[in-house]
Amino acid sequence: MSVILENPWLLGAVAGFVVINAMMVTAAWSIWFERKFAGAMQNRPGPTQVGWAGLLQPVADLLKLIQKEDIVPTNADRALFNLAPPLGMILVLAGLAVFPWAPGWVPADLDIGLLFILSISSLITIPVWMAGWASNNKYALLGGMRAAAQAVSFEVPLLLSALVPIILGGSLRLGDIVAAQADGRWFALWPPGPGSVAFVLFMLASLAEANRIPFDIPEAESELVAGITTEYVGMKFGLIYLAEYLHTAVSSLLGATLFLGGWDGPGPDGIHWLLLKSFALFAGIFWVRWTLLRYRADQFMALCWRVFVPVSLACVAVAAVWRVYA
Amino acid sequence: MDPENYDPEGDLMILNLGPQHPSTHGVFRVKLWLDGEVCIKAVPYPGYLHRGVEKLCEKLSYVMITPIVDKNDYVSPFINELAINMAFEALNAVETPRRANYLRTLGAEMQRVGSHLLWLGTFGLDMGGALGGGASVFMHCFRERELILDCFELWTGSRFHYNTLTVGGNRHDVPAGFAELVRQTYTLIGQRADEYDAMLVDNAIFRARTKGVGTVDAKLAMELGVSGPILRASGIDWDLRRDRPYAAYNEVKLDVPVRYEGDCFARYEVRMAELRESIRIVLDLIDGIPEGPICALKPVKLPGAYKGKVGQAYAAVEGPRGELGTWVIADGTDKPYRCKIRPPSYHAVSLIPYLAPGNNVSDIVVTLGSLDPILGEVDR
Amino acid sequence: MIGLLQAFSALRITGLNLFRAKNTEPLPWDGGRVRPERYRTSFALVHNSDGDEACIGCKMCEKICPSQIITVVPGGRAPSPNTGKPRGTAKDFTLDVNACIHCELCVQVCPEDAIVMLRVPEVPGFSREELFLSMEKLYANEKVPASWGTGALLIGMQAEGQPKPPPPPAKAAPPPATTAGVPEATPPAPAAGGGETP
Repeated sequence: MSVILENPWLLGAVAGFVVINAMMVTAAWSIWFERKFAGAMQNRPGPTQVGWAGLLQPVADLLKLIQKEDIVPTNADRALFNLAPPLGMILVLAGLAVFPWAPGWVPADLDIGLLFILSISSLITIPVWMAGWASNNKYALLGGMRAAAQAVSFEVPLLLSALVPIILGGSLRLGDIVAAQADGRWFALWPPGPGSVAFVLFMLASLAEANRIPFDIPEAESELVAGITTEYVGMKFGLIYLAEYLHTAVSSLLGATLFLGGWDGPGPDGIHWLLLKSFALFAGIFWVRWTLLRYRADQFMALCWRVFVPVSLACVAVAAVWRVYA
Repeated sequence: MDPENYDPEGDLMILNLGPQHPSTHGVFRVKLWLDGEVCIKAVPYPGYLHRGVEKLCEKLSYVMITPIVDKNDYVSPFINELAINMAFEALNAVETPRRANYLRTLGAEMQRVGSHLLWLGTFGLDMGGALGGGASVFMHCFRERELILDCFELWTGSRFHYNTLTVGGNRHDVPAGFAELVRQTYTLIGQRADEYDAMLVDNAIFRARTKGVGTVDAKLAMELGVSGPILRASGIDWDLRRDRPYAAYNEVKLDVPVRYEGDCFARYEVRMAELRESIRIVLDLIDGIPEGPICALKPVKLPGAYKGKVGQAYAAVEGPRGELGTWVIADGTDKPYRCKIRPPSYHAVSLIPYLAPGNNVSDIVVTLGSLDPILGEVDR
Repeated sequence: MIGLLQAFSALRITGLNLFRAKNTEPLPWDGGRVRPERYRTSFALVHNSDGDEACIGCKMCEKICPSQIITVVPGGRAPSPNTGKPRGTAKDFTLDVNACIHCELCVQVCPEDAIVMLRVPEVPGFSREELFLSMEKLYANEKVPASWGTGALLIGMQAEGQPKPPPPPAKAAPPPATTAGVPEATPPAPAAGGGETP
């Protein structure tokens, strides 16, 4: 045991293995959760056939996806086409490396952890665009181009709203940000104003980054058939699909960490508070997803630039003033 | 934008929206010339669902046609049956009994609610996607629509393709307990209609997606022969139920909703107002159905029991999508010589080349959804 | 931003629906809920009160079927094993539910109430043959709960309350010539003249 703890390489490998597998399993069962949740909203039972209450449905889906023939369309850019799904997965999982799960439980305690997560997760546009371009399909191309076009517009408010906890917490290290919110002084609640608004903006921009309704414009299945995933079958489709869920999960984790105090909570601090809060955010995202309609691409960009950016800038300014004078 | 000034072979991407596409409401192809994502030119290609119904009508005797035309506008079979049987009755000047007229009016309004619910659900799907809020709207609408189908199941024995009308009247009288079920169902749907409004109209995203999108002006609508809610959303107050009353509509109080904007939102408003109006008519009618026979002619016992007099007749009803007409030419035999069906959706689809240019793909999908074409009756 | 806040009205509706009763049920392989008595799906041939096969092979249903899925091979007149009276028989009767549109016309025109529709929901078949009803299958379906509609009842419902028609001319509508086995017992078919108002 001590061998593992003393050797940073071994420790990283073990922590990475545990985190990645835990997140993959969580993401798989979050699909089950979403289907049940959406079913309840629509007065239907959701999956019921595989296992008790359909709990084994993700396994069945996985088996089905693995069995499928792996088709690469004619004239597709083979290398990019095959690279895009795993790349998307890797980028999503990489962000998890710097998460403070509980006091002291940080796989890689970077002092620029937040910057790392934000930059890694904004790279997600690249595999999306890659998939759209390489598929040799007009719908996929339109989806990829939409993703590329809107990337800038939601990244700016995302970063600006993430700036608020950085200013309030005074650090880029996620652990420090959480520590600054100790004893219930969560940034979403205290100081009143900038934190809560920035929290809403952050979650909305995360919805766009994770391709979730109302901003799932690159996928837009009623307009672009399935957008970027049109030509993907089998496990490659499965990877893209799972990466979206993982991204949603990472966004909720990040939201809980930055604005809701991470592991902090009444009673003993610990990972359970983080998981509880991020699960609430996760369910909230799905509630929004199964309720709202989709924005048009240009309307979404207009919303970002005309509303989200000014409001998040104002939040940053107020937070800075608070930081300096209070 | 003038489509003629663009070179189709130029720097434009040709996108086939359909024939298999989630938003085409059937099997329908629109060929789009796209500049970026903005449509320059659009050409609809109907015909994928052509089943030769009109030719089939020439080969079947009058009484056998009713179950066939059920499948034309496959979301409002009752109104199809009504249109074709009214034409056959007009041919021989058959007067349907008063009770049959009331039952036909009742069935048509019940069906209209079901049809508008299906439109609303698919309209939501077009905007919210199959994996999002649209699916919730869709499921909620279908939840209520199932109740309507239950009513028809009790009445006719079939959930959808009823074959309940025949030349001269109805085949099925309403059974015991029907009035109670209908009253419950439509009261419930009237309450749930407010929930749809809360989900859609109160939602800024819905308004942003539909207001000012796909505007049909009254002149264009008149030129293309568009009818029904699309026409009424463009400001033309024309409803066959009120202006050319058939069945028992002259004894029914009817408010015709009209909007003047002509965009997708106006069409939504008109259809929702019609839905509420139809619910009100159903609830008004259900208790006041007069007693009497339901069929003016002797019941069908032979395939050739009904012979059309030599001549021709046209009868039109106000379907959920507009004027659904049947023109029949008879040569005195038990089969029509020619049977022409005028589907409202065909004229609605012909709006696409005028509405699509200048819009991007998202708006085209919403516009198509708001036109509510049923490809079964476009292609026949 | 204001618009996004308005989204809460939609969220309220879906939240409300979280606590409503489920509206769907698993595929009812065992029949599911009770269907109304007029519900109609598949077909059966029945025996009449004498215990004979009610079908007399008159081919009326074959003629009226819009999909032309019924094939009747008349078996000629033969003395009934139960009553001894001569009556028509059907040698073969097949019905291809694959193409059936469930219009109920065959039931309505049957002079002997021999063909009825079933009241149970159809179970999906796994091959075309399962939906092809031979004479044996049709008679085996007799045990399955039948729909309300029979020829006499449907005609009765439509004729209910209307003035008695004048007695039809004796041979105005002779039974189709191809049927060898239409007995005199067949009720006189309504006047084929059609189209006349009462």
